Amino acid sequence: MQEGFDYKKQILEPIKSLRSAPREEMYVPGHRTCAGCGPALNYRLTAKAAGRDTIFIGPTGCMYVANSSYLCTPYAVSWIHAQITNGGAVASGIEAAYKTLARKKKYEGPFPNVIVMAGDGGSVDIGLQAMSALMYRGHDVLFICYDNEAYANTGIQTSPTTPYGANTTFTPPGKAIPEGKKLFPKDPPQLVIGGHPAVKYVATTCVSYPVDLMNKVRKALNVDGPTFLHMLTPCPKGWKFDEKLTLEMGRLAVETGMWTLYEWENGTYKYSHIPKQYKPVSEYMKYQGRFTHLKEEHIAKMQAFVDEKIQRVKAIAVEAPIPTPKARA
Amino acid sequence: MAQEKLLSGCAAAAQGAKYAEVEVICSYPIRPYTAIMMELARMVANGELDAEFIHGEGEHAQVSVVLGASAAGARAYTGSSGVGVTYAFEVYSPAAGGRYPLQMAIADRTLDPPGDFGSEHTDAMSCRDQGWLMGWAATPQEVFDNTLINFRVGEDPRIMLPQFVCQDGYFLSHIADKVILPDKSQVKEFLPPYKAPHPLSTTCPVSHGPQIRPDQGAPMDAQRAATFLEVPKVIEEAVADYNRIFGRNYDPFLEKYQMEDAEVAFFIQGAHANTCKSAIKHLRSQGLKAGMVRPRWVRPWPTQQIAEALSKVKAVATVESSTSYGGAMRGGNLVHEVRASLYDLETRPPVTSFMAGLGGDVILLEDFYYMAKILSQMMKEKKVRQHVYWIGFEGE
Repeated sequence: MQEGFDYKKQILEPIKSLRSAPREEMYVPGHRTCAGCGPALNYRLTAKAAGRDTIFIGPTGCMYVANSSYLCTPYAVSWIHAQITNGGAVASGIEAAYKTLARKKKYEGPFPNVIVMAGDGGSVDIGLQAMSALMYRGHDVLFICYDNEAYANTGIQTSPTTPYGANTTFTPPGKAIPEGKKLFPKDPPQLVIGGHPAVKYVATTCVSYPVDLMNKVRKALNVDGPTFLHMLTPCPKGWKFDEKLTLEMGRLAVETGMWTLYEWENGTYKYSHIPKQYKPVSEYMKYQGRFTHLKEEHIAKMQAFVDEKIQRVKAIAVEAPIPTPKARA
Repeated sequence: MAQEKLLSGCAAAAQGAKYAEVEVICSYPIRPYTAIMMELARMVANGELDAEFIHGEGEHAQVSVVLGASAAGARAYTGSSGVGVTYAFEVYSPAAGGRYPLQMAIADRTLDPPGDFGSEHTDAMSCRDQGWLMGWAATPQEVFDNTLINFRVGEDPRIMLPQFVCQDGYFLSHIADKVILPDKSQVKEFLPPYKAPHPLSTTCPVSHGPQIRPDQGAPMDAQRAATFLEVPKVIEEAVADYNRIFGRNYDPFLEKYQMEDAEVAFFIQGAHANTCKSAIKHLRSQGLKAGMVRPRWVRPWPTQQIAEALSKVKAVATVESSTSYGGAMRGGNLVHEVRASLYDLETRPPVTSFMAGLGGDVILLEDFYYMAKILSQMMKEKKVRQHVYWIGFEGE
């Protein structure tokens, strides 16, 4: 509503290096996530980048169940649980409340960073409707999909972002279905970019690249309006790898092309950390128990899928703007 | 200055929300409640009401949006009908368990199948055990008044609960009647601004809704049950203040019509009570001392007041506009609670139930006369022949 009103939007400065990142932790010890948990480290970096004037919305998932056990929570900023279905809607209500409270001078501080920290299920499966509606309506909210590529908290079931060939408890490999998961995953950032004209900034991150991650969080929060981050967060339990290899898995995902790091800003793609020579996907898959049942032909299928994706990266890696409708530019 | 206007139930609800100065509104279209949101949208567009008006993507989102708004400290308002009410079901328990005193208007409607726009109480009644306050109005004036009374009770620091403010679809939502709109100063005296005790804040960080251990569940449930024991007292205070400030004459819990000397009583909820009262006038002219009790609240259920009101009569009929398939009395919902309310009386009247007004059907005067015949029979025989009568499907 009332366009001219000054809501006191926060502007966060870029972070130059890990050393110069804020020392203050907004996601503190005391949670009960697994050793080597990618989503927990991702939360810590995100909260650090966002800072004190922040409100998190946590739809059901690992980052709810393992973080807020027994009435204890690790959040040094305000946080509210949402159902796995409705993170986007609860966030919309919070943002709207702050807007009217600010207009009526019932709240006079800086407009809070409202961040939804949703898993893949809470973002692009059961939570898709609420997420999409938030993006459509243009609320000043950062919606994060922290992607551990499965419903992990319930015991590793397939989600729409679980990769082809993964062994999950709902896609067990067997005689009739040797590859386990037969489908290829959804593409969350493209879902957001493709259908939501109010969105001006979307980016992907990986927990193994923390400075890049924190700066994308800050950039997203600085945008006035809805933004979306797709964050890769390796999961030792779900992917079945040694828990000391979390960061290595993230790096290998980028180095093999399984994951690409990019920003999309007002219609322009900008890729970063593009490997000079991509490693074969088998380099990434061999560490992960969820892929050990796969045969040559399945790995070849995965390589073909990634090769096609890499072609797209190469095509726009020169940072040239892609054609976009005028209204969006 | 107070003024009198001709308003439908929907328009009266919207006026109630406006006078309550709601701050966040979330809409989604479904008949018949839609007219409430159309009115509010117009008020926001005109600048009559400074509120965020959010187009929810469904009823589940509507309740989620107002939950978030309430958690952040705003007075929040939404509404629905029929399958919309049940689509939002997941979020009702979090709203009550989180103690967010948001308000949801319901203009009731049948559930599918088959598709039917008509009034029936089953949609809202299906949600009665989710920890919300709930009650039906019988006139547009009462819709307006209940909107303010419910915010006052729900937001009371001793209570902090969401409220379903219900009205019959079409019979009330779309029929206009005289409504007195008060002076703003009267509302100011009655309804203080909403003050969330622990809002999601940047200066005082809080966590809402963490996981608990199984043994932490029972104490929380017990606390919510204990809160409901406090509600009647707060309703009494609020209604007394309302009557004083606005010049009304509400009984806090029950409307009692011709009950002083009644021998048989209809127990009926919502706008069908208006037809019931006309029927009673006729029945009395024919020599049957009939009366009516209409509950203004379903949750909390006014057990004590109902027991007192019905203790002297010789036969009771609940008129059910909702279904409880396979329930103890094989028909509606009210009869279970009325019978339970009377159980501890030393002498209690026989209670039967009539399924009427389902699927948007009108309950005719003739239907009440038919019920009265059965009531007279029960009074004579001092017993119940049948637990449930389906109006229109019973042989003579």
